[in-house]
Amino acid sequence: MTVRFSYGRIAHVLLWGGLAVASLWVSIPKIYSGVTQNPLHSTGPLHTCDSYLKFATGASVAAKDVISIFQSTTASKRIIIFTRKDDAFSSGLGLTAAYLASPHLVRLFEINGTHPDNELSKMNPDDVAAVVFCRINRPTWLPAGKVFGSGLEVVSMSEKVRR
Amino acid sequence: MSALALLGAFGTLFVAGYGLLTLLVRRETRFSLTEQIAFSWLLGTGAVSLLLWIFGLLVHGALLPALVGIVCLLLGFVGWRRMVPLPPRSAPKSFEIFLGIIIVIEIAVVFYLSFVHTLGWDGLLNWEIKAHYAFANGGVIPATYFSDSGRAFSHPEYPLAIPFTELWLYFWLGEADQFCAKAIFPIFYVVGIFLLVALGRRLAGRTWIGLLAAAFLFFVPQITVEAGSAIGGYADFPLSVFYLATIGYLFCAAEPKHDAFFRLYAACLALLPWVKRDGVILWTVAAACGLCVILATKKSYRYLLAFFPGLLIICGWRFYLSAMHAPQGSDFLPVNLDSFASHLYRIFPLLSALLAEFHDLPTWSLFWFVVAIGIGYLTRRVRDPRILVLIASLIVPIFLYLLIYVFSSWPNYLDHVGLSISRLLMHVTPVGFLIILLGVSRRRVKSPAPVHERGVTCTMTGSERTPVVELA
Repeated sequence: MTVRFSYGRIAHVLLWGGLAVASLWVSIPKIYSGVTQNPLHSTGPLHTCDSYLKFATGASVAAKDVISIFQSTTASKRIIIFTRKDDAFSSGLGLTAAYLASPHLVRLFEINGTHPDNELSKMNPDDVAAVVFCRINRPTWLPAGKVFGSGLEVVSMSEKVRR
Repeated sequence: MSALALLGAFGTLFVAGYGLLTLLVRRETRFSLTEQIAFSWLLGTGAVSLLLWIFGLLVHGALLPALVGIVCLLLGFVGWRRMVPLPPRSAPKSFEIFLGIIIVIEIAVVFYLSFVHTLGWDGLLNWEIKAHYAFANGGVIPATYFSDSGRAFSHPEYPLAIPFTELWLYFWLGEADQFCAKAIFPIFYVVGIFLLVALGRRLAGRTWIGLLAAAFLFFVPQITVEAGSAIGGYADFPLSVFYLATIGYLFCAAEPKHDAFFRLYAACLALLPWVKRDGVILWTVAAACGLCVILATKKSYRYLLAFFPGLLIICGWRFYLSAMHAPQGSDFLPVNLDSFASHLYRIFPLLSALLAEFHDLPTWSLFWFVVAIGIGYLTRRVRDPRILVLIASLIVPIFLYLLIYVFSSWPNYLDHVGLSISRLLMHVTPVGFLIILLGVSRRRVKSPAPVHERGVTCTMTGSERTPVVELA
């Protein structure tokens, strides 16, 4: 086999070779940091929810406990979830709670501030299975619920609402 | 036990896909082992997810996976009776072995990354959520999920190829398992690699060029480590693999008597809108490309039937959503001339955002720059309809995606762009690699091996100005 060399061929090889090396030069630091940054997370069936709850509240392996609270309430009633506007952690917790709340219907309220008294006072407690507060203060007139780490509280409405 | 269940789930997916592959190929063409594995997976995931959805309209509970499993086994039996011929083996060169080892290491890293990361946000809340709820409801997504305005955030209107592939795993595992569900995504990466290698050989006539392209896919950060990458449980990378198969085999189908390629193109085309809603745009582009190929190569009009299965899936899914009273997505305004005219001012900021994305080196490295050079190489061959189709299949979706942001209903539409454009561009990234590998192969030494010995090539040989497709 004979290989003919020409300036065009050499330029072609140099161009693509140069591009390949430059691409690797730019990519490798980014890929390397991506590969080495992440420790192994838990491997349970709810591993993504657990990881997020741990990240946002500090509570370990909490997803199963959140589900068991929802399951202890009447399935035909709605779960009410309060999140804070302009707070990504609160919003993420709210969505995670909505995911875990199945088969209940859910209603998400995004409120300004941290006091949902107005919204709660308008609700009929008989229609509500549980209220979830995501980095929101529970009104003092509502009975205390189960607190997960810092920032997530689930109040089951099977308890009598004192108001 | 989980490993055995996963093996069973993946085995049935592959068996069903292989059966479909044999039905489509009809022993007309030789396909390499990597191609057979790749198509078995793509067709298997498509078929099983569609079967779960369709049978789920009639039955639920244990009967549903049993019925789907029986169909998988029947397809497997068909596959066993009509095996797709393999090309004759040839000894790999040392450079190819070296590249093969690099790719194996990269695949191992992708599997590792997949398991140390959680599912991404959309991976959990847009995709896995549907599998989880369907599993808890006997394999059928509860009707209340579609009508629950509180869960509109999870886009009930998104199609089910990925969620129902996860659901198939859950049936085998006996529980909804977010950790095991992640296993399907690195497999899509492997399938993408296999297709790049195979198409590299078919389009460029050299195995090492396909291997090189496949090895470099790993070094696009958006594919491997960025948000929405191949490992996060999003549908974007699987969609890009389906699109690669669609366009790559349409390229090969442009020659006469390559009907097996055209049937594979049609099958992958049909599945595009089933993988992601954006797949409708890719379907439109790929169907238009298919129409160009049909007209340019003077194929019979019966080839137009290739568009029918995709249309059926698009219409079937729309009908299902309206029957379930699913909410329409709220991210976009109604598409009409009035809203287009009133938001036309967005065009230039959008173009500017797109250009900024192209030279976002931490996300894309030099990928788009290299693609631009590849296109530059191919412009001299643009009279070849296949080259035109390849370039159009890369560029047109990008501009259509950009155009849809004109109708964004977000208060700040540029935030909408910033959040999703990199994932949308990912859909055409593997096709960009096809352009690059054709650019690299432009001035190549003619292979000493007779074409019939290489067996699987659909090769552009000879002068770059007069490409000839050869098929052993």
